[in-house]
Amino acid sequence: MQTHKYDVVIVGAGGAGMRAALESSTRARTAVLTKLYPTRSHTGAAQGGMCAALANVEEDNWEWHTFDTVKGGDYLVDQDAAEVMCKEAIDAVVDLEKMGLPFNRTPAGRIDQRRFGGHTRNHGEAPVRRSCYAADRTGHMILQTLYQNCVKQDVEFFNEFYVLDLLMTPDADGVEVASGVVAYELATGEIHIFNAKAVILATGGFGKVFKTTSNAHTLTGDGMGVVWRKGLPLEDMEFFQFHPTGLAGLGILLSEAARGEGAILRNADGERFMERYAPTIKDLAPRDIVARSMANEVREGRGAGPHKDYVLLDLTHLPREQIDAKLPDITEFARTYLGVEPYTEPVPVYPTAHYAMGGVPTNIEAEVLRNNVDVVPGLYAAGEVACVSVHGSNRLGTNSLLDINVFGRRAGIAAAEYALKAELPELPADPQVMVEAMVSTLLTSTGAEKVNVIRTELQNTMDRNAQVFRTEESLAEAEAEIHALRARYADVAISDKGKRYNSDLLEAVELGFLLDLAEVLVISARNRKESRGGHAREDYLERDDVNYMKHTMAYRGADGEVNLDWKPVVVTRYQPMARKY
Amino acid sequence: MSEIQMSEDRSEERAGSEQRPATSGSRTYDAHFQVWRGDTEGGDLTDYTVEVNEGEVVLDIIHRLQATQAGDLACRWNCKAGKCGSCSAEINGRPRLMCMTRMSTFTEAETITVTPMRAFPVIKDLVTDVSFNYVKASEVPAFAPPAGVAPGDYRMAQVDVERSQEFRKCIECFLCQDTCHVVRDHEENKTAFAGPRFLMRVAELDMHPLDAADRQHQAQEEFGLGYCNITKCCTEVCPEHIKITDNALIPMKERVADRKYDPLVWLGSKIGRRER
Repeated sequence: MQTHKYDVVIVGAGGAGMRAALESSTRARTAVLTKLYPTRSHTGAAQGGMCAALANVEEDNWEWHTFDTVKGGDYLVDQDAAEVMCKEAIDAVVDLEKMGLPFNRTPAGRIDQRRFGGHTRNHGEAPVRRSCYAADRTGHMILQTLYQNCVKQDVEFFNEFYVLDLLMTPDADGVEVASGVVAYELATGEIHIFNAKAVILATGGFGKVFKTTSNAHTLTGDGMGVVWRKGLPLEDMEFFQFHPTGLAGLGILLSEAARGEGAILRNADGERFMERYAPTIKDLAPRDIVARSMANEVREGRGAGPHKDYVLLDLTHLPREQIDAKLPDITEFARTYLGVEPYTEPVPVYPTAHYAMGGVPTNIEAEVLRNNVDVVPGLYAAGEVACVSVHGSNRLGTNSLLDINVFGRRAGIAAAEYALKAELPELPADPQVMVEAMVSTLLTSTGAEKVNVIRTELQNTMDRNAQVFRTEESLAEAEAEIHALRARYADVAISDKGKRYNSDLLEAVELGFLLDLAEVLVISARNRKESRGGHAREDYLERDDVNYMKHTMAYRGADGEVNLDWKPVVVTRYQPMARKY
Repeated sequence: MSEIQMSEDRSEERAGSEQRPATSGSRTYDAHFQVWRGDTEGGDLTDYTVEVNEGEVVLDIIHRLQATQAGDLACRWNCKAGKCGSCSAEINGRPRLMCMTRMSTFTEAETITVTPMRAFPVIKDLVTDVSFNYVKASEVPAFAPPAGVAPGDYRMAQVDVERSQEFRKCIECFLCQDTCHVVRDHEENKTAFAGPRFLMRVAELDMHPLDAADRQHQAQEEFGLGYCNITKCCTEVCPEHIKITDNALIPMKERVADRKYDPLVWLGSKIGRRER
């Protein structure tokens, strides 16, 4: 076992982690721990763009962007946080350009902007061109740009280090403060203690609780799981975004940019059905609305294909040059995975689990909350792992790349400034004990259960019961199945007993986190008896602002049970209105 | 209830298309695989017979092996969509991404070998130590912002941006580094030669309309551009179809040559330097 000492330890090297590292490393000694390599993170899969009211191509301002974000989130957005994000968006784009990111340009040489779902001019009048983009590789280029600048600043990376525990130590007043993390080194099987004054969680989401998902293998909610097991709350976990255009049957994402460039969703009859659901902005309605509309077309029998189980994304009317220039990846995915030629044939699509709106609750300084008001000193979170909450119950497209840049930066600054004033906290006694026990239990288990079997059953029940449409019955069924799977997980065994690159062990640990988080999601969803944003209850079709315009706060009880509470929504300028597009 | 029933049916079907043998019309067969198993101490090809379903890629088969026959088989993967660059390996001796190699490109009778990238030391099975690449990455100076232009006032033409955007498609799978014979067959060249990926990175910065650093000297003197003898192997294996040789390496060589041997360019650079 090795012990390392740093001012700031950042867990996760996606966009949020590396944006934080850029700020933190100029101010304080910083280490970044990642389960992968920095350029492998899922930020790299974000295609469409990053919205900021630059007004380079048409009139726009950050207040309109804020309104769209609040309305898009179905009024569960904390409006102070949304204001911060939309105001700072402009500098966030300029910062990236200054770091060398080659955004697409207008004829006048300025950063070009394009339309994206839910982004409108003047409070919903018409779609606005707000998304700054670099071909359909915006996230990838952001990730590379941030990484290259981290290298320039000599940020220390610990690659393929899997963080399994958060360390907390009581301070002089008995308040628990963050004092570091415990990590497992994948290449060697060695356990490392990182003693730090401040810890930033930037571990991303947990899309792998679902079967059909755009999320990469790595997105198993480790950061949320670690926090949860420490007895800290998780906020709004029932709100999961289903992206409308996953490749049917596979979940691989086709960017919303396709619709931004003019692609149209059609049902089996060739009808542009979004005209019925969102007459003003049609195919560019927010994702929750489009995903539900698609699912509804399918269940009312207007789905396409031999089993009528998907709808069609039609690009065939777009000029080939436009497809090649603006949407090159989409064509490649369709060809490789479905054998479909998008120039001439419509592409089969169906909603795919995409983004967790909920997560570790933070304030706008990215400080993690231990309850509705108090923070955990020294603990920060940013990006998808966090819930600030700028996305409310439904995130708008492009606002995630914005979120990681704005709140990653804020977390980096806040953590470093805190660390500069703080003493290095003492480690708790035997800090490695929990992780050692977790690893050795799995390595020595002789149980009969297999990781991939339990994971598949979990993902199947989540897709069947907690996807685009939910009911009391479906959620109760999911909850019961998850309980049964958790019991079986206690009897899980792995076949690789070695220390060297043991991915079998890693996946077993990840499954533990997935089971915890799936349970929180489902129980939070059962408790919210209304339909709002990404959470659609067929037994409670309407949004209910009287009883439910508040955030869910879930806490882990002493026996591992899920206890629920509420937190008020911060409202500054916008009172809830009916959400029509 | 009928609605729930329907969604249940759909999800069963999706499960079928990914993991189970065949719904109507699709084909299933048993393929013969040879996968390299071993670690730093050495290793060998191991034979497996694995089920293959229609539409699958090589990574699906490796996962099925892990799930059913070889739970301790180590491989890296993440996005399964050709975007993260994790699952690089050599398939029938050819550097490829496992997630983007369709099984339909092989015949059913063919034996398919999967081996780790040869240019890098093995950690275990298909997992190699690619840290060489991250050392090289750290040696390339980042974008140097232009003096006298305020952030936000950058103006560039789309045509110029596109030139560097092509190179920005790189997902750092390191297949080009793996295939490049300068390092593949000559370990000793690794210190002096950064490999196609990082020479392309230098070219990308050189072609950024506003980058203020001197990349041409670096390319030649520090990153070993001269070692490249434009056999285009890197271009052939690039899963992003970047024309590494034609669009990055050859133009970079031309720029270096111009500067070194063209008397007017040489004179201009001297005068330019004096004025500063």
